[in-house]
Parts: sequence; structure tokens; C-alpha cells
Amino acid sequence: MAIHQIREILRPATVEEAWTLRVAAPESRRFLAGGIELVLYTPPAVTDLIDLSRLPMGGIREEKGDLILGATSTFSEALSSPLVARYGGGVLAAALRRVASPLQRNVATFGGSVVRGHPWSDVTCVLMGLDATLDAYDGAALTVDLDGARGRSPVPPLVTAIRLPAALRDVRGGFEKFSATAFDVATLNCACVVDIVGRICREAHVVVGGTPAAPRRLVEAENALRGRALDDEAIAAAAGVAAREVDARDDRRATAWYRRELASIGVRRCLVAARGEGDEVE
Amino acid sequence: MKVRFRVNGAARGFDIEPGDTLLEVLRGAGYVGVKKGCGTGDCGACTVLLDGKAVNSCLVLAAKAEGRDVTTIEGLAPSGTLHPVQEAFLDVGAVQCGYCTPGMVLSSVALLAENPAPSEAEIREALSGNLCRCTGYAKQVEAVQRAADLMRGASK
Repeated sequence: MAIHQIREILRPATVEEAWTLRVAAPESRRFLAGGIELVLYTPPAVTDLIDLSRLPMGGIREEKGDLILGATSTFSEALSSPLVARYGGGVLAAALRRVASPLQRNVATFGGSVVRGHPWSDVTCVLMGLDATLDAYDGAALTVDLDGARGRSPVPPLVTAIRLPAALRDVRGGFEKFSATAFDVATLNCACVVDIVGRICREAHVVVGGTPAAPRRLVEAENALRGRALDDEAIAAAAGVAAREVDARDDRRATAWYRRELASIGVRRCLVAARGEGDEVE
Repeated sequence: MKVRFRVNGAARGFDIEPGDTLLEVLRGAGYVGVKKGCGTGDCGACTVLLDGKAVNSCLVLAAKAEGRDVTTIEGLAPSGTLHPVQEAFLDVGAVQCGYCTPGMVLSSVALLAENPAPSEAEIREALSGNLCRCTGYAKQVEAVQRAADLMRGASK
């Protein structure tokens, strides 16, 4: 349905110009990337959209080993990228295949996703597991964490790219999403990333989101994995810790108890997938 | 505001409101094969191809189509000869009420352009954003498989 209050679409030619337009009217202007979120809901005060499509903020590339996802690149672009397929054992691609439908993935952008930051976001969940940071601009180039896309007042910085570190390029990972239907948003989602040297788990990231709060790292579950062989016993132990540690609450989708069960199963499945033996549990 | 983009290969200019969706502009211009369903990107009835990619036109602002190529169901058979995907949908009976069919066909065309020999799982994934309330999807999957065969045969 048309966004009736929109009076103008502005088309800056540079990032600097886009930022200047945005800060000139913090309440009434928003950046426009894919536009899905804005079509579904635009705050009543917003009357102008700043179209980012002419700016050099697209594409997927490597930069000194880091994987760079342009803020206006789409999930479909990422799914057809060999760089994304290789990075982190393919965990980002695995997560993207679970996001919405192919129709929406052809439009939805990484920038739009991290700026909107839905608590059930599969993308935020997996990006957090991969230690993503954001290249941004607020009058000068800066780097912020995922929360930095939304946090600052009166205008959060313009996210220009998502940066995944070279250090995690060769890790392994798994992603799991539980939802009422394949199309629905997550009742709970999990991403696990492990760096295994020899048989020992040298580093582990365990993220659970949609609890229904936003994704967050489960530090105790990660500690349960570090320094151990990623065997069935270690995986079961980490899954149990995750169930206790997760900030699960009731909402209309699920109870806190059910979410704890999902967290345990999800973390276990992610770790088994990361270990590379397929989904053999539960 | 004025925007220009190609619809089914023909350059067109449109006088639009800045907040209009591509769905509304196309239907207003007579491309009524683009169906309005949910209006929230859930059903896929409004599917069109934007630069060859299947999208929900209800979720795309028309202004974002500036300078790009849009294909609607009307563009698949401009001379009256059906596209192989359309032929296949008819041949196997993948059409009942027909409301979802333009979107289903266009998603199938986009799939086959990228993947000429998709598996059943790949077909189901490609059509997962196109809901049909009449059928059980089996016929649409069969139709895409048949279309793939037809198109591969035609290219030999």
C-alpha cells in the first residue's frame, strides 16, 4: 500500500550529501535502501525518503581478508556470492536461506536489516555470531558495533557496509531457526561459530535471538566449549548451559519454558552442524 | 514526481506519488495481470520481475524502479504465443482460480533463467513466496519441471 505521507524522494550522489540531507531534518527524513520496512511501516512524521541506491554502498567483496557486505546489497546477492559461500564455513549463507521468501530476499538489504534490528532477525543473529561490525558515516567515517546502527540520538550513523573479520573466515558454524511456518519470523533462532584447532575448540560464539528479546551472546555456553574437544558430551553440556542462560520470556509465540527447550535443541544442532557431521541429534 | 522505466521491454514514463508502490503504478497503467493480494509481501500474487529478479511489487516503491526493467505477466506472451512456463502450467493443470498464477509463472521464469534444471526442492524453494489457496502445489512443481524440459528441448 502506498506510503501516503511521503512528499519527496531525495537522490543524493554521495554519502556525504545523503548524511547532510538526513541531519537537516532528523524527524521527517529516513534513508531508503530496499524499502520493505518502510512500505510496511513508516512513522507518521516521516515525509521524505533519501534513496541510497545511487551511492557506492552495494556489492560484496574482500578487503584485507575481511568480508565486506555493502549496505545496499541484497540477501540474494549474498546467496549467489562465492565469497559468502566460503566465509565461516557457509554459516551466513545457511542463515540467509532461512530468511523470508526468495521474493523478499531479492529486495531486502543488509543495511536495512541491521538498522531495523528486529529482535527476531535471523540476519542480526548470525552477524553477531560472526563478530560483524558496521562501517558507517556520521560526518566522518567510523566503525560501530551492530547496536550502533540504531543507538545514537538524534540521528544514528549511516551504515555503509557490514564488515566480517578475516579472523573468522575459516571458522565453522551452524544456524538454526524455529518458526511456526518456514515463512514466519523466528520463535527463536541460534547461531554458533567455532574455531577448531586439532580437535580442540579454541574459540566459540553462541548467539540466541528472538527470545523474544534481541540476539545476544551466551557467554557461559561459550565458556563451556572453549578448550574442549567438540564431542557429544561437550555439545550436550553447552546446550544445557544455553537453556539455563538464555533470557527466555513469554510472548504470544511461545512460553519461556518452550524457548529454553528450543535454545537447547538449537544450540546442539548448530554445534553438530559446525562439527560437520550433519543433523543427527533430536 | 516523474519516473521512467521499461515495462515488458517498452520505455514508459509515469507520473506518480512518491510513496506509490510498483504494484499500484503498474495496475493503474493497465497491467492488471499484476494481482493485488495481501499487500504485505506474504502471498506473492503481485510478483513481477525487476531486472530479471522476482519481487513482491507491493513492497517496492515505484520510484525504486527508475531506469530499470520490469516484466509483468503480460510481457511473457507479447505476440500471443505463450511462454513455455505458461504452456506447462496449462498442460499439467496447475491453474485453478488463477489469481496466484501470474506470480507463480513469473517466479518460475526467474528460477529457470538462473537454474535451467532445478530439483524439486529448488522449485519448492523458488515458489515458497507464492501462495496458492486452491491447490496443493504439486501441479505447479510438475509444471515447472515440464517447463524446464520444454525449454531445454527448445535450446538443443
